Amino acid sequence: MRYALVTLILALLLSPFEGALGQWSVPDSLGAKVSVLNDEQLQFITSGAALEFIPERQLEHELATRDAHGLRTLVDDLMSVAREMGYDPERDMGATPLNIASKRFNRGTLPTPEPLRELKRDAGPFSVHRYLFPKSGVPTFAGAKVAIWPEDLVAGKVDVAIIGVPSNASSGRRDAANGPGAMRATNTIATPDAQSLVKPHDVLSVVDYGDFSVDWLSTEIAVKHVTDMVAETAATGAIPMLVGGDTSMLYPGVKGVARVHGKGSFGLLQLNAHPDSERYGDHTVSDRQAIFLLLDEGLVDGSETVQVGMRGSAVDVDTLQWLRSKKVRYHTMAEIQQRGFDNVLKRVLREVEKGPDAFFVSIDVSVIDPAQMVAAGRIAPNGLGIDEVTRAIRHVCAAKDIVGFEITDMAPMLDVSRVSVVNANAALNACLVGIAVRKAGLDPNYIHPLVLDHGQR
Amino acid sequence: MANDSVRTVLLLVTVLGTHVAWADQQSPSKPEHVIGEQAYPFDSNDPRDVDKPPIELPDSVAPKLGLLTPEEIEFLKSGDARAFAGSAEDTVDALNERTPEEVKAWVNAMQHVVEHNHYREGRDSPNIPLNTESPNFNAWRLQRPRSMDPDREPGPVPLGRYDGDGGPPTFGGHPLALSKEDLVAGEVDVAILGAPLNMGSGWRDSGERATADLRLLGWPMGNSDQYIQINASEVLNIVDYGDVAVDNDNTERSMSHIRDVVREIASTGAIPMIVGGDHSLEYPNVAGLADVYGKEKVSVIHFDSHYDAWWGGNHLIGHGYPVYRLINEGHVRAADYIQVGLRSSGPGKSGFKWMRENGMRYHNMAEVEARGWDAVLDRVVAEASEEGRKLHISFDIDVLDPAFTVATGTPVPGGLTMREAIPIVRRLCAESNVVGFDLVELHPALDPTYKTTLNSAHIIKACLTGIAMNKEGLTAKHYLSPLSSEHAIDDYYGDQQQYLDATEAEEEEKDEGAK
Repeated sequence: MRYALVTLILALLLSPFEGALGQWSVPDSLGAKVSVLNDEQLQFITSGAALEFIPERQLEHELATRDAHGLRTLVDDLMSVAREMGYDPERDMGATPLNIASKRFNRGTLPTPEPLRELKRDAGPFSVHRYLFPKSGVPTFAGAKVAIWPEDLVAGKVDVAIIGVPSNASSGRRDAANGPGAMRATNTIATPDAQSLVKPHDVLSVVDYGDFSVDWLSTEIAVKHVTDMVAETAATGAIPMLVGGDTSMLYPGVKGVARVHGKGSFGLLQLNAHPDSERYGDHTVSDRQAIFLLLDEGLVDGSETVQVGMRGSAVDVDTLQWLRSKKVRYHTMAEIQQRGFDNVLKRVLREVEKGPDAFFVSIDVSVIDPAQMVAAGRIAPNGLGIDEVTRAIRHVCAAKDIVGFEITDMAPMLDVSRVSVVNANAALNACLVGIAVRKAGLDPNYIHPLVLDHGQR
Repeated sequence: MANDSVRTVLLLVTVLGTHVAWADQQSPSKPEHVIGEQAYPFDSNDPRDVDKPPIELPDSVAPKLGLLTPEEIEFLKSGDARAFAGSAEDTVDALNERTPEEVKAWVNAMQHVVEHNHYREGRDSPNIPLNTESPNFNAWRLQRPRSMDPDREPGPVPLGRYDGDGGPPTFGGHPLALSKEDLVAGEVDVAILGAPLNMGSGWRDSGERATADLRLLGWPMGNSDQYIQINASEVLNIVDYGDVAVDNDNTERSMSHIRDVVREIASTGAIPMIVGGDHSLEYPNVAGLADVYGKEKVSVIHFDSHYDAWWGGNHLIGHGYPVYRLINEGHVRAADYIQVGLRSSGPGKSGFKWMRENGMRYHNMAEVEARGWDAVLDRVVAEASEEGRKLHISFDIDVLDPAFTVATGTPVPGGLTMREAIPIVRRLCAESNVVGFDLVELHPALDPTYKTTLNSAHIIKACLTGIAMNKEGLTAKHYLSPLSSEHAIDDYYGDQQQYLDATEAEEEEKDEGAK
């Protein structure tokens, strides 16, 4: 028995057609048709490898209707395509060369060293405004003060550093690089929490920590620097709240936090229309692979990862099975439609509650319905309402020790109304007020007596 | 007709024994691109990136240098330190402001930055690795075997039910071709190829939306031209050649495949007309033409508000680098480059000096400001039409004023009007020997009015009209229809008779042709 298993595994491994994981039984009625194929062609068909290129029903149709010559031609062509699928170092580029003669090879990834900074000032966050109660001026996240160096965060005992990560490599429509700028320019972050009436700026020291530099032409290169910078930020004790950029930057966001707090030491709440669990991609990092990389490298545990809102084009049987094998708590839109959002939210919050004390909260704006988030790069209809999203985020951020937050893939140019920007700010604000509620020592469910029933019985 | 001209060219090739290399004959067994983990096989230093000269320091600052090692002092004097410390005077001022301890920290910081900015083996990756373990490594560019679809004869395929109309949208409503066999069987003159590349752009929306919108709204590409009284669709065999596969996570990886497809089109004698897509495309487009017509045999006219000859960063391709890379790899001589419409903030003097010294003909908007458009137009067309030139036109729509093309990756005000652009493109395609054309940097989401897409389609139409004029022999300087360009009912301009005579002559010629 064991011998047979080993043989089977070996046969699969040695098969020239990788990905041929199953067998395909030729329907009895077509047995005669395949007799015109030679051994190699027959093996290719019965290995199931052809099904990677042609749907089963179509293959059956072709077998039933083609003459011998037509059938052999088709199978030969499919075999030829299968041979070309994988990497061949004699034919394919396996790594993209860079200009190693460049004098600016790493330029843009080095914060100016202290002795070269022209302006001398004491460490600490500083205002960009002339007035005590400014209404406009240089736009910052949450209208907050600016911090530039880690020593500013330390000196200001900063609780929350909001940071732009303007990458622009979404697999969908691209303009997320302008997300941080747009979210600064529409100053609707740090509004008071309507439930508890907590004002974030009263409770928390919040700063705009600028943008982290990204390589415009390579997500791979951007990952390294962003990871280092997120780690440096988290090490000061401030919570990095990252504003993408596309969702590939979730990987360095979580990785940087894990470098400080420890791998697997925190849970992950992810709101996203897309599973981002591509397992066999031809790139080493992309938005499509973000969750795969986090789980594969053990940065977060699958059983402590809660995914909400999946419905995108990459949601298929293989992907869900893989997520299940990793014990990911996923809640698709199908579940939300079946059971109602309130019930699913309760379940999500219970799963989070049972998880570790610390959580990283992330949202790819595609989770929000296009009616309220037309600027989602990887837009997907039938999503959540912004009220549903903010309720979930606010509660988790109020209930847990938040080690990081990230919002990704809002492409502002796709929305001339700018409503998408307002809603992206609302999603970030939901976490900010949640953190403030917790800092104020209030229960996540606390309701200020004045906000219900006109405050009068 | 197309077949005749191909045969004529082939005959000439045979008779004259010239070195026109056709892809089928040349047939490079291995495409000329990086495979495996090879390094870039050409010199990648930027010749314009010259070190600043070192400085001498006066003895008066010696006490400030007390803690520095001899190497550190050498560094402080070197060109490398000039980027931070400035001129000799500034350096002395800076030294005088600092204690010897501060001077040492200052110099060390500069050294750190310089060292950090250079590539260092072991610390930095010399390349961007791909996941070569992926079983789907080439899925992005695998071509669908013809045998998967019902058998059909090769040739352009009309997609609609009503004399070709009524099907899914194609460029200008032209029929679809998917393979070299289709091009050859259809005696195709112009193959319009979508290239949805967008990794290199400023605003990044030149992907599939650009090629889809040009198909949806690009009907002018199939229409008659009133100025010339010609319909390119009736003179030329034009096809929609589908979109070329690109990897929008890695521009370099897309390059060799795009080059293959452009080569495939040009090898049939058809003119590849590539629409997209970010301006990195100019590199594979022209390299693909050079594969067919020979190295340094193709001239390029580059319409753009930017010069796109940047170099010296860590990447080897992006929408700012195609011109330099084509020259660096020997596909085009710098002297065979003509640039029109430049006006962006760069390059600086070193870039223009480099162009002048290498014989590149640049016609910036500054020249237009100085001499007027009509003078520049005639000069450019004359240069491009010089004897023996085979011309590729690379038209970045940001050469146009943002009033006409707001939806482009890096718009710059002060550009050409459509009334300037249509004639120059039409004239170039009529009066010179055009072998390739691209229109790039269309980003439709930036323009909810569709105006930019419409204007882009009219630029392409202007070239199609010009190519048709060339084929019909209408190559006289600035030809316009004598019938549509002048009513000739009175003698307002004093040349009424010329128009009446020319109209009559054309009608006689047409009648002759009909017999």
